Amino acid sequence: VSARFVTAKVLGSLVTLAFVVVFNFFLFRIVESDPVASMFRGRNLTQTQRAELTKQFGLDGSQWDQFVSYLQQTASFNLGRSYQTNQPVADEIWDAAGPTIALVGVSSVLSAVLGTMLGVAAAWRRRTKADYSITSFTMATYSMPDFWLGMLLLVAFAVGLEWFPVGGITDPNADATGLAHIADQAKHMFLPALTLTVAYLGEYTIIMRSSLLDTMREDYLVLARAKGLRDVLVRNRHAVPNALLPVVALMAINFGFVLSGAIAVEAIFSWPGLGLATYQALVGPDLPMLQGLFLVFSASVIFFNLVADLLYGYLDPRVRTT
Amino acid sequence: LVGAVLFVALLAGMTAVSAEGQKEPSTFDVGDTQDIDSMSPLIGVTVPAYEAWTIQYATLTDKAASDFHTIPGLAKSWTSSPDKRTWTYKLRPNMKWSDGKPLTSEDVAWTVNTAREEEWLNHSSVVGNLTATAPDPETVVIKSSVDDPKLPTMDAYILPKHIWEPLGAKGRAKYDGLDGVGSGPFTLEKFEKGQFARFKANPNYYGGRPAVDKVVLRFYNNPDAMVAALKTGELDAAEDVPGQAFKSLQGSSDIQTIAGYQGAMSELGINGGDGLKKPHPALLDKRVRVAIAHAIDKDAIVDRVLAGIGKPAHTLSTSPDPAWTPEIPEDQLYEFDLDKAKQILDDAGYKDTDGDGIREMPGGGQPLNFRYGVRTEGDAGAPTYELISGWLKEIGIATTRKVYDDSQLTVVIGKGDYDMYSWGWTPFVDPDPMLSYFTCDQIASDPEDPTNYYNDANYCDPEYDKLYAQQKVELDHEKRLEIVHEMLTRFQESAVYDVLYTYPDNQAYRKNRFTGWTRQPAETGPVLFSNSSPTYAKLKPVSASAASDDGGSSSAGIIVIVVLAIAAIGGGILLVRRRRTVYERE
Repeated sequence: VSARFVTAKVLGSLVTLAFVVVFNFFLFRIVESDPVASMFRGRNLTQTQRAELTKQFGLDGSQWDQFVSYLQQTASFNLGRSYQTNQPVADEIWDAAGPTIALVGVSSVLSAVLGTMLGVAAAWRRRTKADYSITSFTMATYSMPDFWLGMLLLVAFAVGLEWFPVGGITDPNADATGLAHIADQAKHMFLPALTLTVAYLGEYTIIMRSSLLDTMREDYLVLARAKGLRDVLVRNRHAVPNALLPVVALMAINFGFVLSGAIAVEAIFSWPGLGLATYQALVGPDLPMLQGLFLVFSASVIFFNLVADLLYGYLDPRVRTT
Repeated sequence: LVGAVLFVALLAGMTAVSAEGQKEPSTFDVGDTQDIDSMSPLIGVTVPAYEAWTIQYATLTDKAASDFHTIPGLAKSWTSSPDKRTWTYKLRPNMKWSDGKPLTSEDVAWTVNTAREEEWLNHSSVVGNLTATAPDPETVVIKSSVDDPKLPTMDAYILPKHIWEPLGAKGRAKYDGLDGVGSGPFTLEKFEKGQFARFKANPNYYGGRPAVDKVVLRFYNNPDAMVAALKTGELDAAEDVPGQAFKSLQGSSDIQTIAGYQGAMSELGINGGDGLKKPHPALLDKRVRVAIAHAIDKDAIVDRVLAGIGKPAHTLSTSPDPAWTPEIPEDQLYEFDLDKAKQILDDAGYKDTDGDGIREMPGGGQPLNFRYGVRTEGDAGAPTYELISGWLKEIGIATTRKVYDDSQLTVVIGKGDYDMYSWGWTPFVDPDPMLSYFTCDQIASDPEDPTNYYNDANYCDPEYDKLYAQQKVELDHEKRLEIVHEMLTRFQESAVYDVLYTYPDNQAYRKNRFTGWTRQPAETGPVLFSNSSPTYAKLKPVSASAASDDGGSSSAGIIVIVVLAIAAIGGGILLVRRRRTVYERE
């Protein structure tokens, strides 16, 4: 991969990020609003309290002043203070990132791996019963809204069978440590992780299936067979690696959404991650929090797109030259 | 695949291990749909935060569960000077904070004075005009700079001086309040933001150690999941149950539902025209406002917007204590009658001259088309608008829907840039704040700062203001009640503020776990999340044998999971072996 290719891609990403930073500021200020007044409506604040809160919320001064101080703060990774908790937004996001990365990370990996395997199986046995059942199952789950699937699983396994808790990340009465603590968290994570895994399987299956079908028409597979290789080896050594390209790109892009990808599912299972934080910030509305979350989400999407670009350039030489 | 199988197996295996932990019988689990924003009373504003402070911090005087009258709290008795501006409180002897340090009049005086000086968010409405001194450890003297009918009630959270003073003013303003030192029945043990706050019984509580060991406030973002947790027994009680679920729980044999009224109301507010901008000219005509009032079927709104869980109302609800709300004379009520509404508009000269179904101003010209602000918050805004705009259309009035979130609507109302909207209020126990919002000087008058005011009716009535000033210093309760009733009756008559209904806090609890549920106020109020939440200290666990009737299904679940896990592991091993043989044969 040439240095020029990399530089161009990195610069492009930085420009996009700068645009997001500026756009973010104005996005939340298009409509005139007064969060201090609505949050403390009827509370008979004194003038000092009002002025103090307005300052705390970063709403004093003209919009230009606010913009300049916003740029300065953002450059030093200070995302302001949340209206709702009066804690630094960066801390709030940091606290919520762990549960989200655990939940969405695990289910992204699972759905990518399982989905790709199902896609391989479907393509290799195209137009058999196996193909039809895999394709229809994954299409069905993929087209199901994830919150609906989540509700179904919740009703079946948490309410009906009572196998799993209905929400949260730990049992507040357990105070478990060590292995028991991990077990407690795993139990809480099972249903949301299952929901996300099943909901996103289909994407990988469909792409892997069609990509592998394309590859299967290539001459080198005929050659591989002609050499007398076993079917499994033809598949695993010659067909799948070449067909994986679009899946790798999809994975990289989807990982960009790991942070933001689970708003609905986190809300359903009261999973205290970034998705739930987004939902609550929207209900607030908690502008600094939303602003910070959008910035983090955009940055992560931009970063992983860059990774996908570079990876693609590395894996497929044709991309570099065009 | 192996990884996936192992992951599932691991999860399943762990589930089997951890499901053994049975719930302690004397832990009281409450679910809520809102999170505690901060444990510090200087910062937090959400309803569960108040509940947490009410559990943890006792106040100088408490409020009776039955009707909010002032009863002893940290103070056992009090006396007043003849002018009722100086009150002397005697504290209970030998009180201690939950950490064992003595709780004295120093703590009280320090809290009152520091809160006043630093204008603490949740204290200043109580202590703004008060100064406290501590002549001896069991005596607090509180002086008010004005006549204050709220006294001797002192419902400000008293904080432990030994924790809060060393922080300094700046430190206090940012302190997270997680020390767990308090004087109430329970004190904070563990707080996981976005998940739960767990409290333990305070052995030094002046009312004696509570019978329940722990209280857990749990946060559910999904109200249906919360209701499910109540049904499965993960929760003992739930606050803020959605209307439909609440109705379905009403039939349940082991769950008690409570529609707890605390005075929350919703209204159709009309721009009365005394603010920064005038509304549509027709709305300045009281006859048009009266016609609108006649076109609103409050019973239908309660039925269809609140699933029947609410009560039609006529004037401001100024307190959770229903005694403050007057009986409006029958002939002054604007009953639902579309023909009467049309007749009033016809008589006043508002006729549809161009035949488009919408009336115009007398003599033709501007049609009666009103801008109606609809809130995005809550579930009631959109359906209320649909119903009201439908009835208005029937009497020849058009509406233009304007959708706002609260922080936008606040600005719109402040600027007077509206004709009507629906929103609501939840009152404090004392009616004064709610009454104060509708005085003339609460109408936005500074165009540079339009949100510094509360009068969202933009309506000014000098007679109302005169009565307001009278009730504010009237120290005789009966006389004050009479003045307030007169104010509210006048206010209703103006037809600028059509109060639609009052609505309850929907709560539910499991009957088989605890006794001691206490409604505040009696018969109509909620059992939890009330003004002083007396239930927590009174709860007693029902004997353990009666309570543990579930658990069978979960052990069946464990068995199934274990079987599944074994099958998955077995399958995984088989697959791996098969693959190996394939490669070996290569």
